[in-house]
Amino acid sequence: MRTFLTASLRAGVAVLALARPAPAQETIADPKAVAIPRFADETASAGIDSVYKGEWQYMVGGGVAAFDCAGSGFPSLFFTGGEAKGKFYRNVSARGGAIRFQQETSGLEQPNVIGAYPIDIDGDGVTDLVLLRVGGNVLMRGLGGCKFARANELWGFEGGDSWSTAFAATWERGAHWPTLAIGNYVDRREEIAPWGTCTDNWLFRPAMVGGAPQRKFAPPDPLKPSFCSLSMLFSDWNKSGAPSLRVANDREYYEGGQEQLWRIEPGRTPALYSEGEGWKYLRIWGMGIASYDLKGDGYPAYFVTSMSDNKLQTLEAIPPNGGPRPSFKDVAYPIGLTAHRPYAGGDLRPSTAWHAQFEDFNNDGRVDLFVTKGNVTAMPDFAQKDPNDLLLQTPDGKFQEAGEAAGIATFDNARGAVIADFNLSGQLDIVVSNRNARARFWRNLGVNSGHWVEFDLRQPGANRDAIGAWLELRAGGKVQRREITIGGGHASGQLGWRHFGLGEMTEAEVRVVCRTASPTNGAGWRVTMLMFLNVTSRPCCGRRSERSGNASTREPPPKSSREALFKGLNWRARKGSNLQPSVSKTDTLSS
Amino acid sequence: MKALRLAAVAAITAGLILFRAPGASAAHGGLGPVQALREWYKLALALVRHTPTYSPPVASRSLAYLGVTAFEVVASGDSDLRSLAGQLKGLQPLPPRQLGRPYDETLVLDAALASLTQNLFSNTGPTGQRALAAEDAKMRAEISADLSADVVARSEAYGRAIAEHIWTWSREDGGATIENMGFPQHYELKKGAAHWVPTSLILQQQTPLLPDWGKNRTFAMPDGAACPLAPAPEYSEDRSSEFYKQALEVYQTRQALTPEQRDIAKFWADDAMLSVTPPGHWISIALQSLAKENAGVARTVDVLARVGIAVSDGFVGCWNAKFQYEQLRPVTYIRRFIDPKWEPLLITPPFPELPSGHATQTGAAATVMTQLFGEDFAFTDETDRSDGLPPRSFPSFWAAANEAAISRLYGGIHFRAASELGLEQGRCIGAYVNALKTKK
Repeated sequence: MRTFLTASLRAGVAVLALARPAPAQETIADPKAVAIPRFADETASAGIDSVYKGEWQYMVGGGVAAFDCAGSGFPSLFFTGGEAKGKFYRNVSARGGAIRFQQETSGLEQPNVIGAYPIDIDGDGVTDLVLLRVGGNVLMRGLGGCKFARANELWGFEGGDSWSTAFAATWERGAHWPTLAIGNYVDRREEIAPWGTCTDNWLFRPAMVGGAPQRKFAPPDPLKPSFCSLSMLFSDWNKSGAPSLRVANDREYYEGGQEQLWRIEPGRTPALYSEGEGWKYLRIWGMGIASYDLKGDGYPAYFVTSMSDNKLQTLEAIPPNGGPRPSFKDVAYPIGLTAHRPYAGGDLRPSTAWHAQFEDFNNDGRVDLFVTKGNVTAMPDFAQKDPNDLLLQTPDGKFQEAGEAAGIATFDNARGAVIADFNLSGQLDIVVSNRNARARFWRNLGVNSGHWVEFDLRQPGANRDAIGAWLELRAGGKVQRREITIGGGHASGQLGWRHFGLGEMTEAEVRVVCRTASPTNGAGWRVTMLMFLNVTSRPCCGRRSERSGNASTREPPPKSSREALFKGLNWRARKGSNLQPSVSKTDTLSS
Repeated sequence: MKALRLAAVAAITAGLILFRAPGASAAHGGLGPVQALREWYKLALALVRHTPTYSPPVASRSLAYLGVTAFEVVASGDSDLRSLAGQLKGLQPLPPRQLGRPYDETLVLDAALASLTQNLFSNTGPTGQRALAAEDAKMRAEISADLSADVVARSEAYGRAIAEHIWTWSREDGGATIENMGFPQHYELKKGAAHWVPTSLILQQQTPLLPDWGKNRTFAMPDGAACPLAPAPEYSEDRSSEFYKQALEVYQTRQALTPEQRDIAKFWADDAMLSVTPPGHWISIALQSLAKENAGVARTVDVLARVGIAVSDGFVGCWNAKFQYEQLRPVTYIRRFIDPKWEPLLITPPFPELPSGHATQTGAAATVMTQLFGEDFAFTDETDRSDGLPPRSFPSFWAAANEAAISRLYGGIHFRAASELGLEQGRCIGAYVNALKTKK
């Protein structure tokens, strides 16, 4: 590591970190020893009593959203209710203390909502929400103080009248207004022959008037063909700086369909990656997407949930100079991530998986995977007793099931989920929305936990949460990377702290990387990551809002090679640091 | 499928003219027995595709029972037809009608097909259940609108009685219960280089699909072993052997695949859960052929019953042979001895190779269809139009069968011998079906 430069931080990146004394680790009796976290069901004591209700039109969905709308750093919750109205719960927990939520009227309480994703659309620093509905979708503008108001008309957003089941957002290069993708399901009015009636997915881009961008959305462009999407994610799969749209589609309903990857480039019509370009067709009951750099090669892997076996897709080949083709292979089986049937309860029929999310639950420095499970509705070919999975990563890079040992093996009919640190203890808790049953809140008791660090990215102007950036942490010679995204999962999203486990490490370096494809140099890459600091005019992944021009201007120099450009801000996580921004060190990683 | 629907309309007209069963009562808004039949078959084929248990063997079985049910309903009211009871294995005489009492033939047929379809697809998902209920309600309302209450009650009761009889019969054939989508939790593979090993990265598919299916009760053929395969090339790793040559043929074909061969492979791929499956494909061909000749209901149920029986017995016979040999797939052999990175065009099915299931059931179906429609019956197959696969035209059923069989070689999932021997096995099975007597 090179010499650190000292720079002052404002509240650009808040860092939450704590070190715990390393406990005697309880391990699975296996040479691939892994520490098992422990969870307690604190749903009742936390004050949560939400139920996602409904029949056929609510067999999918059941999302939940986590976000800080009070400025306290504590994530609150909004549960979709299906046929019933959704419920908002303000987080009133004390740091490190008991979990407490308080149900309040927020404006989000609407019926027929099946999915919810937090996003700061207008860059005002107050979180907004996208509500996916059976019927017209609604954008809810955050008013502050955990109050929300409909903003479809204000933002020129056409809610439509579909069965909307997937969402993702990005800020395209140069844009100060987000691009939204909404996935739609079958024609819900078709009773006898709904198969093959997948309705169009939509791409909402910023409106332009006379070449000038507006602070509102243009009418949506249909993403044809559409194949009944249940999850979408903008992700920079090839490190191009222009995230593509990965779409998981439900083969139950499409005809001639498959999984999809859309090339979304500024100013251009969306285009599907084709077989000629390397895309390999995959046909599954695509229901949820989770991504993470599992191989440590800087490229995201995609876990896509389905029925029976789930998929973990990684690039087939990465050329030495980058520029991979969109050819993915399924590696779920060899590393133990198929999660294809229940591990407890005695029901050996295949599983039905929905939400998936990579997080480090035991803070050992290896990211794990949580997957919700639940029968669609009395499908006898699939397990009725289908517990959610907690798949812990072992030192050899494989995963093993720990749901039962960790205390989360219940048999609800799960759908959406969020995983967050609800009492800012450094331990990731699990919230699951269940169909026709009460939601669950599992508090992570911190047993067997290693050290950890959490970040909340902020930048001035548009795209305040740095969506599209990569957060990289190096500790003990190992780099963990996560892409900051909005979308994926199953009908569920969250904004707020980004968590890393550190294991035994007490120090770490971190950098934020944003790739922006240069419009003037096709072979070059431009990397900016200065969002921590109040010194850049080019915030990561999108243009600074016209309304917030208080940042100084400095263009990062163009470079000719990717690695040379891979500049970043290093930060040394310090034992005992707290919510306050701390003195940081900057330098280029010597990776 | 639009063309199929249009063709169905033409067939309906023919059905109304040709079908006048004894005791038939009032017309019902133009909906005749052929249309009722087609409506239920259309839904059944959709459910085959959208019900996870429905691998091709399972689909073939249900399509056979559906066909026999339709035939027995019509035969019970048509003095020219002869029941299959006593001809099909284990099928006892069907319940009789009440003498001298009127029935509505369309409603009898509708009630029988509704009942049996609901039973056969009881494990379909919520959307399938919703579709079944909606179809039942719509058909029942339309057919019974102008009928007297006693005719409705009698007709529906009789239709359900026929369906119940068939359903009870079906429970004992060995294929009634499918667990884990047909993949046993444990299975001991035959040892040796010649034998099948899993080819899929799907953990559920590390055991072969339905290894006991070849022991199921058959419909027309004596048992699953009644049509054994002719000798196939013996497994060998010798480069001069016939086995190696056939593997090399699969490899080289894949490497130099023409657009036409690729189209053929995809046209006949008929993947489970993504299509109507191979047996559904032949039922679809039968429906299209019947529409082409504006067939009446008696002809329609005769054809559907025979083709259903043919493909079902085809899968039993094929699976009987598959698990006798448990031969390895081309992808396994080619990666071992020719090219370790080789990929077939199609996804290799999760069960042993010899013979080709598609070829066997295709051979059986073509044998039956040729007997029913003639050797030079030209047709255009539009089965997969809605999936973006353009129609293909054939001068005869055997032309289609030969193409379907060789498509598996183009797809890289079968050796030539499996396709050729499968077709021959199918001929043998089809001959048993052709021997059934459906007319007095």
